[in-house]
Amino acid sequence: MSSHRIRLTVNGVAREILAPANRTLAQLLREDLGLTGTKQGCGEGDCGSCTVLLDGEPVNSCLVLAVQAHGHEVLTIEGLAQGRELHPIQQAFVELGGIQCGFCTPGMILSAKALLDKTKRPSQEQIRRALSGNLCRCTGYQKIVEAVSEAGRRLSRGRR
Amino acid sequence: MLLPKFDYHQPRDLPAACGLLAELGPEARVIAGGTDLLVNLKHGRIRPKALVGLERLEELTGLDSGRGRLFIGARTSAAHLAASRSLGGGLRLLAQAAGQLGSPQVRNRATIGGNLCTARPAAELPPPLLCLDARALLAGPQGQREVALSAFFKGPGLTVLGPDEIMRGVVIPRPGLGGGGAYLKLGLRRAMEISLVNVAAFLQLAPDGRTIAQARVALGAVAPTPILSPRAAQALIGQRAGDKLFAAAAEAAARDARPIDDHRGSAAYRRDMVRVLARRALEQAWDQARGRRGGKS
Ligand SMILES: Cc1cc2nc3c(=O)[nH]c(=O)nc-3n(C[C@H](O)[C@H](O)[C@H](O)COP(=O)(O)OP(=O)(O)OC[C@H]3O[C@@H](n4cnc5c(N)ncnc54)[C@H](O)[C@@H]3O)c2cc1C
Ligand code: FES
Ligand code: FES
Repeated sequence: MSSHRIRLTVNGVAREILAPANRTLAQLLREDLGLTGTKQGCGEGDCGSCTVLLDGEPVNSCLVLAVQAHGHEVLTIEGLAQGRELHPIQQAFVELGGIQCGFCTPGMILSAKALLDKTKRPSQEQIRRALSGNLCRCTGYQKIVEAVSEAGRRLSRGRR
Repeated sequence: MLLPKFDYHQPRDLPAACGLLAELGPEARVIAGGTDLLVNLKHGRIRPKALVGLERLEELTGLDSGRGRLFIGARTSAAHLAASRSLGGGLRLLAQAAGQLGSPQVRNRATIGGNLCTARPAAELPPPLLCLDARALLAGPQGQREVALSAFFKGPGLTVLGPDEIMRGVVIPRPGLGGGGAYLKLGLRRAMEISLVNVAAFLQLAPDGRTIAQARVALGAVAPTPILSPRAAQALIGQRAGDKLFAAAAEAAARDARPIDDHRGSAAYRRDMVRVLARRALEQAWDQARGRRGGKS
């Protein structure tokens, strides 16, 4: 099997990793870089727990080969907080009960971030559509939708 | 779930890629977004020794209008199509379909080339592209050929694509004024769902704004390949547009469907849904062709 020298930016830091061809981006993040905030559930694109932002857009990292991420920018859940201060989306999830077991949370928050980066004050429908690739077995979604909505309000007020 | 072992190649241009496929033989597979291929690899449905990545092939990118035709590169993502300004007017049904493929995460990776080359009977993009009379551009070691999309699919998972050929993109004749279309999908739920039935309709009105000059209705998930309905087209062309005509054309489309019974729905139900969706799609296509904002979608 071929190996590849993969250069990519993860959470703003340039990284270089030698990886076999069959390494997924999810494995590279979790196993090579120790960034275990990215979860892996189904491994086939259905649950969204492995969602990361690739050049700002949400993708299922279980269905991206690490070699395909060469030269690109990846944002994982570890890249959101600034020091000990949570990102407004994280803070809203905590405050509004958008987190229960937490397994879906990193993916949910990154999907929400991709939405809020484009649309500061999304409608409920836009939020539901943006999160339609992320499954949650705990919350029943309503509190997640409310958290994203609140995060949008806070972000558009420029409050951190 | 782990991936089996394979070599990975990233050729720099189309001729190199086709050459590589010819050299590696049937053990090699092309990979674009990987949303279909990687799932199949993980399930062990296929075991290629090598993957040929398309990410460096500039020839496969871009949406390009010229001489009344629109070229769409095979690597164009569903997300890009869904948001593209080039897909207004009579081309809107393609953006509508792309916006209903999978989830946001899947749409960001899924390519139009992958969606066509997997040749799934229920795939999202074939019905709108069939309605728009698209042609597939296939590149091989001997050069490029053009195949009507209606002749591209051969069966579930089967196409006319040779083992050393790569789809470069599709070309669509740009509909003129008075062209309108719509795409409707019926799944068991709204996101990430393979269609039970999907229907696309396209109408081109004559300058009188009422006579149907050209019409196509395409159906997915009701035959071994996505199909055009010849009976529906025949019922529509040359007639004056209107609700009664659309109901009759929708009946005709249902007669062209050859659905199967499976755990997701019975054949009778699917045929019935073809009739319902085809009528609605034609009504919406007409609204759009007349310059009204297409009703409910
Ligand atoms: C969770 C999930 C949900 C999905 N939902 C939908 C849905 O709602 N509707 C739908 O239609 N599909 C759906 N799919 C299937 C898949 O995402 C689409 O078919 C997608 O368009 C495939 O594109 P890709 O670029 O990812 O293809 P890949 O996986 O890269 O390739 C697919 C096949 O096409 C071949 N191929 C790709 N590009 C070319 C080319 N340019 N030339 C020659 N051969 C090529 C590959 O060799 C492979 O055999 C879903 C998939 C997942 C994982
Ligand atoms: S683990 Fe990637 S989508 Fe489920
Ligand atoms: S909080 Fe448990 S899966 Fe969403």
